[in-house]
Amino acid sequence: MPEVIIDGHKYEFEGEQRLLQFIQDQGKEVPFFCYHPSMTAPANCRQCMVKVGQYVRDRESGEYEADENGEKVVRWFPKLQTSCNLMMSDGMVVHTQETDELVKRAQKDNLELILINHPLDCPICDQAGECPLQIQTYKYGPEGSRFEVKKVHKPKRVQLGPRVVLDAERCINCTRCTRFTEEISKTNQLTITSRGDKNYPTAAPGTVFDDPYSLNTVDLCPVGALTSADFRFRARVWEMNQTPSIDITSGKGCNIDLWTRDNLILRITPRYNGDVNDHWMPDEGREAYKLFNENRISRPQQKLDNEQILSSWNNAIATFSELIEITDKKDILIVASPHASVEENYALSKYANLMGLMQPVFVAHIEKGKGDNFLLTDDLAPNTNGCKLLGFKEISSKSLKTQVSKAQLVIFIQDHFIDRGILSTEDIENKKIVIFSSNHSETTRSADLVIPVTCVAEHAASYVNTDMRIQRSFPAKETKYSNRRLNLEMSEGRLDRHGTHFDNWVTEDNKIDCLPVWTFITEVAAFSGIDLTLEDGRSVMEEIAGSLPAFSGVSYEEMDERNGMNLSAEKEKSKTDS
Amino acid sequence: MDYKFTKEDLQEIENLKSRYPEIKPVTLPALWIAQRRFGHVEPEVQKLVADTLGLPEAHVHGVASFYTQYYKEKKGKYVLDVCTCLSCQLCGGYDILHYLEEKLGIKKGETTKDGVFTLNEVECLGACGYAPMLQITNDTYVNHLTKEKVDTLIESLKEDKVPEYEKIEMPLRKNN
Repeated sequence: MPEVIIDGHKYEFEGEQRLLQFIQDQGKEVPFFCYHPSMTAPANCRQCMVKVGQYVRDRESGEYEADENGEKVVRWFPKLQTSCNLMMSDGMVVHTQETDELVKRAQKDNLELILINHPLDCPICDQAGECPLQIQTYKYGPEGSRFEVKKVHKPKRVQLGPRVVLDAERCINCTRCTRFTEEISKTNQLTITSRGDKNYPTAAPGTVFDDPYSLNTVDLCPVGALTSADFRFRARVWEMNQTPSIDITSGKGCNIDLWTRDNLILRITPRYNGDVNDHWMPDEGREAYKLFNENRISRPQQKLDNEQILSSWNNAIATFSELIEITDKKDILIVASPHASVEENYALSKYANLMGLMQPVFVAHIEKGKGDNFLLTDDLAPNTNGCKLLGFKEISSKSLKTQVSKAQLVIFIQDHFIDRGILSTEDIENKKIVIFSSNHSETTRSADLVIPVTCVAEHAASYVNTDMRIQRSFPAKETKYSNRRLNLEMSEGRLDRHGTHFDNWVTEDNKIDCLPVWTFITEVAAFSGIDLTLEDGRSVMEEIAGSLPAFSGVSYEEMDERNGMNLSAEKEKSKTDS
Repeated sequence: MDYKFTKEDLQEIENLKSRYPEIKPVTLPALWIAQRRFGHVEPEVQKLVADTLGLPEAHVHGVASFYTQYYKEKKGKYVLDVCTCLSCQLCGGYDILHYLEEKLGIKKGETTKDGVFTLNEVECLGACGYAPMLQITNDTYVNHLTKEKVDTLIESLKEDKVPEYEKIEMPLRKNN
């Protein structure tokens, strides 16, 4: 196998690999700005310089030449090389900044050059705390600046598009953003304008940077030049906790991170998953954070004399059980939802089973033409395949209308059919409507009993995406009944762990009075004297995996280990195994 | 304003396409054709070039804004680029620039009201041996400038007479 010697250590490698990527894969570091593993490497930031050479070999004997100390002689490339676009070859000798003073000096000088016109506004810059330029200047940069002349001024606060704001002075012209629009989103909307020290990225004059993936350029930007119009100045990076989760606005199930402070989700960024979304996510998915904070239902609500009033959990549980009891079993329709997780849907279906009710049906949420063969899908719900795998019958919106008209009691979960335009308020007149929902909507307003349930940011639950991949969320914010110190699924920020007064959570507000569906179902079952206990997402999934062959082998541990599991691949595997 | 290429322009662009393996390199000559036709490559002209070549608007804008020789705004009929880089500066480049400013009644970077002259201060044009000098509309160099030479130049340009290309022999090395 070909070998490469980096800082005196031998590494074996296979195939064609870029040197910088290989160095990173070994857990070592070389500073860089413009390189990105998913895009081409134009090597224009010049930061990843390393010294590269080859051992000198005698042509005739094939022996390595040695100097007087017995060390192998290296023939160095005449100049330092950018490691990002250098393909490795057998016998390559590499010195990084760790072993070579020249490389160290080159990187330092390059940073000095980059910083000549970079404004020193880290204290008010949104990127501070997650800024490669800031981090690498601390690590490899010069102590001060020798430039006493005025910095070049460029346009600031330019609204490039509806979601992205440009501060051209901060830009170091790495071209990651323009390459993103050229190579990944393929809209070609950005370019670098002008030249020399006056250049900066921009859209063509008169055009708007409205790429449906535009916010990825904000994540890509190694400085604070491109910022999110929405998130700008909302929070510092170090004040937030980061919790892995799943995008629930499309069928793709992009892997995301939820950024939390004071029990509010402040922003959503993509999380790398090579099998699903790579490093990217659509802009639409990032707006979902509002769903988790705003317009939430807190405390159950009940209709009394045609008016919804706040109720109590005891009342809600009693009312729910009563409604089930007094209604003829064949007149009860349970509508499961692709917007709810596998566990939530399973809880409903299990309850239906034990009570001898009809199994839930569901209506897929499809918008034809929405998909773009990248990360947007026609499917607007995160769990359509999950409903199918649970064995629910998929019905058309038309047939939903007929079935609802025949029923007396209809139970909805997280699906707002009036808002979707499938049902009208006339359709549900004189019916009893129960809805499990996390957000207010037209549909919840016309329901007889509204049960506030946790959203994806508040519970651990799994979703099966359009490619049959099951992935799960983690609780990122507390409800009134959960505590992040006791709930081991919840992550804590660096600041929290010291238990200081400067905790990330400075207020106990913003907690929603809601319960996970499975907890509510357990309570209802206990009220009606049925033996049914569903503790949390983890144990519910264990139960599902044990009872449904479609989910065999699925567990939270396995999903965490492998960053989600492809169920169709699992099936193939179990087939060949048996 | 609505900008359109003539049939001949389009034919010329079409011929250029066959000279390159891909379409992107045609951007440069196509921009030249546009500038020759309209006298500038304003954003609208850039859009026309992009549409004609089937390239992204942003790319054409990036190319056009990179080169100072493409005029991104309307300029005078004659653009006078006066060099004030080191050699010209030492030989009186600024004197010439200021003299022209005074004579034309405009500041550098501006265009005369009648739209005939635009005056620019530029960096080295690679004619240090003939300093001070200026260039007329990306083309002819006028060398060894003096105030008198500037006067005659302006007069002849007003009559649309562009000076001829001037051949200047380099002095021979003594030890040859």
